[in-house]
Amino acid sequence: MTDFKVPFVDLQQRFVEEGEELLACVERVLAKGHLVMTQEVSEFEQQVVEYTGAKYCVSCGNGTDGLMLALWALGVGKGDEVVTTPISFVASTGAIVHVGATPIYADVRADQNIDPAEIEKKITPRTKAILPVHWGGRIADMDAIMDIAKRHKLLVIEDSAQSMGAYYHGKHGGTFGGAGAISAHPLKNLNALGDGGMLLTNDEEVARKVRLYRNHGLQDRDTCVMYGVNSRLDVLNAEVLKFRLTRLDSVLSRRRRNVSIYQDKIRAKQVYIPPVRPHEQHAYVMFIVQAENRDMLKAHLEKCGVQTLVYYGTPLHLHPAAQRLGFRRGDLPVAEQQADRVLALPHHQHLTPERITFVANAVNEFYGA
Amino acid sequence: MRIRYSPLAQQFADVDIVFDELRDLIKSGDFTLGKPVQEFEQLFGTTVGVKHAVGVGSGTDAIKIPMRAMEIGPGDEVITAANTFYATVGAINEVGAKIVLVDCDDNFCIDVDKIEQAITSHTKAIIPVHLTGDAAEMPTIMKIAGRHKLRVIEDGCQSLMGDYNGKRVGTWGDAAAFSMHPLKIINVWGDAGIIVTNDDEINRRVRLLRNHGLRNRDEMEIFGYNSRLDSTQAVVGKWILRQIYSIVEGRQAAAAYYDQGFRDIPGVRIPLRRPATKQVFLLYILFVENRDALLRYCLEHGIEAKVHYPIPLHLQDALKPLGYTVGAFPVTERHCQETISLPVDQHLSRAEQDYVIETVRQFYNGKCS
Repeated sequence: MTDFKVPFVDLQQRFVEEGEELLACVERVLAKGHLVMTQEVSEFEQQVVEYTGAKYCVSCGNGTDGLMLALWALGVGKGDEVVTTPISFVASTGAIVHVGATPIYADVRADQNIDPAEIEKKITPRTKAILPVHWGGRIADMDAIMDIAKRHKLLVIEDSAQSMGAYYHGKHGGTFGGAGAISAHPLKNLNALGDGGMLLTNDEEVARKVRLYRNHGLQDRDTCVMYGVNSRLDVLNAEVLKFRLTRLDSVLSRRRRNVSIYQDKIRAKQVYIPPVRPHEQHAYVMFIVQAENRDMLKAHLEKCGVQTLVYYGTPLHLHPAAQRLGFRRGDLPVAEQQADRVLALPHHQHLTPERITFVANAVNEFYGA
Repeated sequence: MRIRYSPLAQQFADVDIVFDELRDLIKSGDFTLGKPVQEFEQLFGTTVGVKHAVGVGSGTDAIKIPMRAMEIGPGDEVITAANTFYATVGAINEVGAKIVLVDCDDNFCIDVDKIEQAITSHTKAIIPVHLTGDAAEMPTIMKIAGRHKLRVIEDGCQSLMGDYNGKRVGTWGDAAAFSMHPLKIINVWGDAGIIVTNDDEINRRVRLLRNHGLRNRDEMEIFGYNSRLDSTQAVVGKWILRQIYSIVEGRQAAAAYYDQGFRDIPGVRIPLRRPATKQVFLLYILFVENRDALLRYCLEHGIEAKVHYPIPLHLQDALKPLGYTVGAFPVTERHCQETISLPVDQHLSRAEQDYVIETVRQFYNGKCS
């Protein structure tokens, strides 16, 4: 990779800040001598319960598995339709397909989250669940979604992969519906040294089933009560996540401060930054703007030494794998238009105000603003 | 004296080299399918003697994903050994195929004389399990598979570097699965698995399936999973894999020493050591009289003995729907009553082994004779 003046993530700085403490986490685990499903894992789960206010947290191998486990435990499967958003990482749809259900896409709003009015239009007698995604760290409009779910007797499974630390009317992402899945992938706000995930639920039976299912269906070493999978949070990562959870609030406030500087400095009218509503606490896993002439802006920024990424250039319904679902270009116009306009600017807790100003100026310069 | 089952404490005693590399990895931030994963895959492929090695999240996933790559699913039947670990049948269930069990022989591997009577027009694959570090009778299995046009996926999770007629486990079938769970021959510090194959198309498809079906960052070719070998674990895996020959020789030497010691103890029968196979002894299993009393006696004398496995798979609650009853697999059922697993690994000292042998001798000479 070329050397960017403003790289998308600053790993050097992150290492300076916490590298030795991470290695100490590894040493602590080794000193105890056990590496699968130890006390560290249950301690981390308990801390997530306290942080999020969910009744139960069950850790697992990754955020995708968390979604699959949630769908499975709530009984979503073959023959069921799940209404979801076309604006997400491919895993949201992948999880639905893997439990045997059919994803049905509803278009999004200007803030890139699923549009409740569009959800209603997609409900059929086969609809079993709604799977909203809290994209980028902003909670979808859960009051409206829960209301629809109640009226149509549907399950709600939240893809909260990006919403650790995000709130809606003071309630944490992943705690509204039947279950929510959070990712601890290295690029998330609360991140492991590799893949990791957690499922949140207020339903005791869901928690019980998922605890069995993630570990081969084993009630104890010798008794297999159901078919299961292997999807366990590594103990090393549990210890790392315990350490990082103590710093999450500081990470979040630095990220929010950085976004407010961006909002202040970007003057170009051609760049749309979806406003944050008073009842939303955005976790800003990413800072995504919607820009006119996006590809040329990206090239311009690159020339200025600013690394940006497109999250994502293809809405989910237009991927080759999704062809058989029968959606075509034009079916979800808002999402399709956004896919041509979205650009994620460098954004992390180590970014300095000077660098943010530098990026914002480069953006303004491109549009002559 | 206390004889522990797990040798991890010894492994953790000298970790400076691996910590240096972990520090570099944390600095680089290359956590997801990074360079250490590629290096580990290459080293693993060369060591086993296969063209492709693909790191995944667990040994269980390493069984499941090749089946998905071969499009084995609902309506298909898959034959496997009745005395395997839950993961093998869990994986078959995950892809939606029907589990068909076949009894084992006194080497704890599938009884090749009973395979053909289990084959129907729906059978798609055989999963022989190389249990305990021994090898299933692969030449016959490959002949049967050839005759009936079936796929073969070897479950090599317990038998890395074992061989049959000088040909390694994992190099016989269309694909093979290995586990690097902390108690395996080559372990990492958490869950991990690896798929090996000589087939380019299977290699291409399992690589897609382990990473969301993504052909590149923006194109999802097929619906996939998230099942990746963590870079962190690959660093540990590389370090341990470099020691593979001494690990295997250490286990074999320990087993030979046990064989010698147990040879003349009444009440103890050593499983047949077939000239055709090279065993790697992930488990050291004996047939013994009065097993439960011996197990208790060992535990009372500080020997962490185990049973693999006390309840036969086909009598577990999870498998009830398959309709197998007591008597369905007499050899497997007998093994559950008659076998004991004693601590065996490269770190076990001869003095420790002498203590184990003498304790068992005492049990049969004193208490029970």
